[in-house]
Amino acid sequence: MLGGALDAPPGPSPAPAHRSRRRRRDLAPLVLLSPACLVLAVVTLAPIGFLVATSFTDYNQRTLFTGEYANVGLQQYTELLSDNDFWTSLLRTVIFTAAMVAGSVLIGMGVSHLLTRLGRGWRYTVTVVLIVAWAMPNVASSLVWNWLFQPGYGVANWALARLGIFGDTTSLNWAQDPMLAYIAIWLLIVWQAVPFIALTLNAAETQVPKEYLEAARLDGASEYAIYRIVTLNHLRPTLLLVTILSVIWDYNVFNQIWLISRGGPGDATSTLGVFTYKTAFVGFHIGHGAAVSVVTTLILLGLTAVYIRNLLKSGEDL
Amino acid sequence: MTRGGWKAKALAAAFCLVWAFPVYWMVNTAFKPRSEIFTSTPLFWPRHPTLGNFSTALSQKQFLTNLGNSVIVVAATVIVSIVLGIFAAAALSRFRFRGRRVIMVVILAVQMLPATALLIPMFVMFNSLDMLGTFAALVLAYVATVLPFSIWVMRGFFVMIPAEIEEAAHIDGAGNWRTLISVLFPLVAPGVIATGIFSFIAAWNDYLIAYTFMQDESRYTLPVWLASFTNPHTGTDYGSQMAASVIFAVPVIVFFLAIQRNLVAGMSAGAVKG
Repeated sequence: MLGGALDAPPGPSPAPAHRSRRRRRDLAPLVLLSPACLVLAVVTLAPIGFLVATSFTDYNQRTLFTGEYANVGLQQYTELLSDNDFWTSLLRTVIFTAAMVAGSVLIGMGVSHLLTRLGRGWRYTVTVVLIVAWAMPNVASSLVWNWLFQPGYGVANWALARLGIFGDTTSLNWAQDPMLAYIAIWLLIVWQAVPFIALTLNAAETQVPKEYLEAARLDGASEYAIYRIVTLNHLRPTLLLVTILSVIWDYNVFNQIWLISRGGPGDATSTLGVFTYKTAFVGFHIGHGAAVSVVTTLILLGLTAVYIRNLLKSGEDL
Repeated sequence: MTRGGWKAKALAAAFCLVWAFPVYWMVNTAFKPRSEIFTSTPLFWPRHPTLGNFSTALSQKQFLTNLGNSVIVVAATVIVSIVLGIFAAAALSRFRFRGRRVIMVVILAVQMLPATALLIPMFVMFNSLDMLGTFAALVLAYVATVLPFSIWVMRGFFVMIPAEIEEAAHIDGAGNWRTLISVLFPLVAPGVIATGIFSFIAAWNDYLIAYTFMQDESRYTLPVWLASFTNPHTGTDYGSQMAASVIFAVPVIVFFLAIQRNLVAGMSAGAVKG
């Protein structure tokens, strides 16, 4: 990317191909880095240490006022592992994440491909629509969703009633039905996730060499076969990246669920994020919430490791 | 198959209709008088367009205070993370030193943490420091989420500057600092602007942290103000809620359209979560 100096292994190397002043051991990078590193250590690394420490205590509502707490060792963790609510939330999170990622990646692939088949005017229109949907702050879009799916006057219920398949749906209460609440949240997440996926994939799809596509066409391959064999093959690295990022983001979704259903009805849409939040900030069992958060983070760390390894492999200069 | 076949156009039109609908419905509702909002058959455009909902939203007693809070907190976050981030990005891109790789991996990994992993310990820490509800606490929490990706994105812009430019500056007798400040910084200015906008969006949109930290209404930021429009007891005033959503979303949409070229690269850096 930037010539030999950046690609060389760290440390003194016997015969540097490109001598550069960057090789000199000087204090400049240290001076430049230390303010940011110091701040990051205080605002991210210290809290993580604190989170782990808190998970070994019985820190709760009382502690917030008195500052008193006791060390309980691994108790929070043993309680957690025998807690049915935790396991259901975990399972729910996995299913939610899988459904959201599948929906948004598949639609995103479709839109990306559609963009390559459009003339200038339509391509521009679709891009603007994508960016506007993407830009909507999720607090605002969650409120819009509540209004779209409002029982009584919501336009979604009206449209469903007009379709007539499900009978009179005018007063359907989406947030109060486990399946419907989930569908509404799924629609919102997919609606917001598709733009990034579609635009990222499209950027990669326009890089597919034209000659390959033309050659396949001359050989009489069907459009579907060309897509599957030529295009998808080129898209694979980008697709993998987008999928991993979507898994990480969807696994962490909180605002939309909280603002649409508060995890309800009952616990029907309570994912790990909602479960942690309720434990720590509704019941104020902060020690327990910290333990849940540690476990959540460990699972996520596995996914993140895959993402980072992938970035390294894709030639990103680290 | 030619570009722009009718099938593709029809699909594009259908997609635009579906995807633009929620935004259109927000705007449509915002301009309707109450009598046109609650109708058994929805009205697809306001018969008697009104700005009443906007004035109701804007005259909420906390609106201006909360807008002011948002501006203070977001501005502080953007400034702090740009200033700290640009030097770190320069170090990570223009120098080679021991431990660089480790720092980069840590910066990348920190961005992927679930929100509660920082929220819970920060809540505990700020509570014991008696800082809950202060702007400083909120800014620190935002810097934690925004600084790593600011470094990451700006580093991407530094990496694109050819090494020859730097070498030329050195031959002309400029030292390290001189080169950095008068040669490299101006060249990454577009990247700094894009990063600033990303940070703005992330901090401006945050609901979870402000909702947890700021218990006093007069200390709310705009997203918390916006979400508290939902009142289960009095019934929701959808007209002014949608008007408020428009007011809140417009700056973000404008910024998104302004930086659309850098959007994909910036998002891949892992922030501005949906």
